[in-house]
Amino acid sequence: MEKAKKNSFMSWLDKRLPVTENLERHLTKHPVPKKVNFFYIFGALLMVIFMVQVITGIWLMMFYTNTEEGAFASIEYIMRDVEYGWLMRYMHSTGASAFFFLMYFHMFRGLLYGSYQKPKELVWLFGCFLLFLLMAEGFLGYVLPWGQMSYWAANVILSLFGAIPFIGPDLQVWIQGDYVLSGATLSRFFALHVVVVPLLMIALVVFHIFALHEVGAGNPEGVDIEKHRDKNGMPLDGAPFHPYKTLSALPAIGIFFVIFFAIVFFAPEGGGYFLEKPNFEEADFLKTPEHIAPVWYYAPFYSILRAITFGIPFLGITSKFLGFIIFAGSIAILFIVPWLDRSNVQSIRYKGIYSKVAMILFAASFLTLGYLGTKPVNELRTLIAQICTLFYFLPLILMPIYTKYEKTLEVPDRL
Amino acid sequence: MIKVKALLIFLFFVALPVWSAAETECGTLEKCDSFESNVHDRNSLQRGLGLYKNYCSSCHTLRYLRWNRLERDLDIPENILVEDLINNPQVKTSDFITFGLPEVSAIGAPDLTLRTRVRGEEWIYTYLRTFYEDSEQITGSNNLVYPGTAMLHVLGGLQGRQVLDQNGNLEKVGDGTMTTEEYDAAIGDLVTFLAYASEPARITREKNGIFVILFFIAFTAVMWLLNREYTKDIK
Repeated sequence: MEKAKKNSFMSWLDKRLPVTENLERHLTKHPVPKKVNFFYIFGALLMVIFMVQVITGIWLMMFYTNTEEGAFASIEYIMRDVEYGWLMRYMHSTGASAFFFLMYFHMFRGLLYGSYQKPKELVWLFGCFLLFLLMAEGFLGYVLPWGQMSYWAANVILSLFGAIPFIGPDLQVWIQGDYVLSGATLSRFFALHVVVVPLLMIALVVFHIFALHEVGAGNPEGVDIEKHRDKNGMPLDGAPFHPYKTLSALPAIGIFFVIFFAIVFFAPEGGGYFLEKPNFEEADFLKTPEHIAPVWYYAPFYSILRAITFGIPFLGITSKFLGFIIFAGSIAILFIVPWLDRSNVQSIRYKGIYSKVAMILFAASFLTLGYLGTKPVNELRTLIAQICTLFYFLPLILMPIYTKYEKTLEVPDRL
Repeated sequence: MIKVKALLIFLFFVALPVWSAAETECGTLEKCDSFESNVHDRNSLQRGLGLYKNYCSSCHTLRYLRWNRLERDLDIPENILVEDLINNPQVKTSDFITFGLPEVSAIGAPDLTLRTRVRGEEWIYTYLRTFYEDSEQITGSNNLVYPGTAMLHVLGGLQGRQVLDQNGNLEKVGDGTMTTEEYDAAIGDLVTFLAYASEPARITREKNGIFVILFFIAFTAVMWLLNREYTKDIK
């Protein structure tokens, strides 16, 4: 470090707090692969959308009323009487959809390019926890406007806990804080939505990034950039995170905001998929909507839940509880992917034909399940959902077998 | 890679409307009549308000909309607002448009503030035009979009008499004070007003959104150029 700087404020600060050291470690000197593709932008965009949600959320919280009597009207108050309240609300509601959209792509990237493989298991695990927390956060937040769909969708989800044998009914009452879904549930969901889950998410984001910086970012080739370094110790195929990666993210963030604000300003309801029509009607516990549909981002998992129309009677497992197990399993199985993949290469580019087919089947099932989840059930749709559920799980369950035995291509030495 | 991007953009902009368009059931009708409100047409909004005030307001409230919001957005002079529209010294211009009706009026008429967002504009546009005479109903009329509706055909005098023919299609058998075209236009005004009432911010939203988007397009362009300069170093 130069002499002049040693006397500066930074040097004073550095002796007391490792600011420069950490800035260099995580920003200015942190090496990232030079060549990555489109799929590698979603992490940065997720950070952006997380900030959007936190900031708009704080503003909404200033005007929102977390009571059964006042919640619905307070949303309309935000939409009408609060200056730019509508903007905050639409950014928050569109942000929720964007968050999931980006999250699914970010995770699919991980699956495609083996971003979970040794030594990145923890990065992937923290990410899966983040998906789980995001799902919880989205669910809790969706209840807050206290519209018809808030109320009845929450009823469906909470009743799943009631389906657990022995402890179920008591557990459901404990979560609800009442014998039925009521204002007591609303106010605790508010507390969880604005404090508990976001705090956990921030902590996990920090862990996710620290773990990533420990093991290094991946690339679509699955090449280890650490192998070849120049004389300064910088990997030959790498570049410092700042300014190169930060700057390359900015145009992408710009494009993202163009699309994001196009929706916020011109289609905030997202064709009824981002803001569902029945939710413009206040919750009425005497009137069930004709068709209870989750928001699109839960639809794939909701489809899996509905696809299980059979139980295991001799074990005392009802179809509802089995559905709940498989539904939970569909998320839980993602956590163990690092230990299911036995391949000697990371990227799908160098994996064999079975891995490629498996990924296509997995993605196609996920999309089909998503589509079916937003539609009312009928026999044909249930059958398709059952087949898709099977093809959602099979690529993951069979992964240890096909990744071990399939023929892989040789990974190049350099990017 | 371009293919993947194109597919994503396609999915986002094309697939969503296609999916939502797939659900077009409209009561006994296969499809609602198409209608798109233009909340920037102030005259249409004012005419819609007039219809609402004269025909709907004795049963239906607008309990999330304030009188003075109308003054601002619909450009209504204060004296007309106070004397002709509110016409009640106890009501302030900052009050909600409830006419002192209870939350759920005695005959169960729903509040209309958010109705167009619950049902959709096209549903309401079609509903208000598909009443027909039906002596089996207590109200003497029935509806194609919402069979068995409890609502009277209060606009019957304007529309004229309609009955169902043998094929279940509407047939006009008596003239109202408006021609069919005039009536359709009037209902269009009313639905436009209700669409406005359901989201007054839509006027600013649709007007100013383009500037935000243009800003981010410019931002993207500048950042793209800046990034291009920097990446020259590491190539």
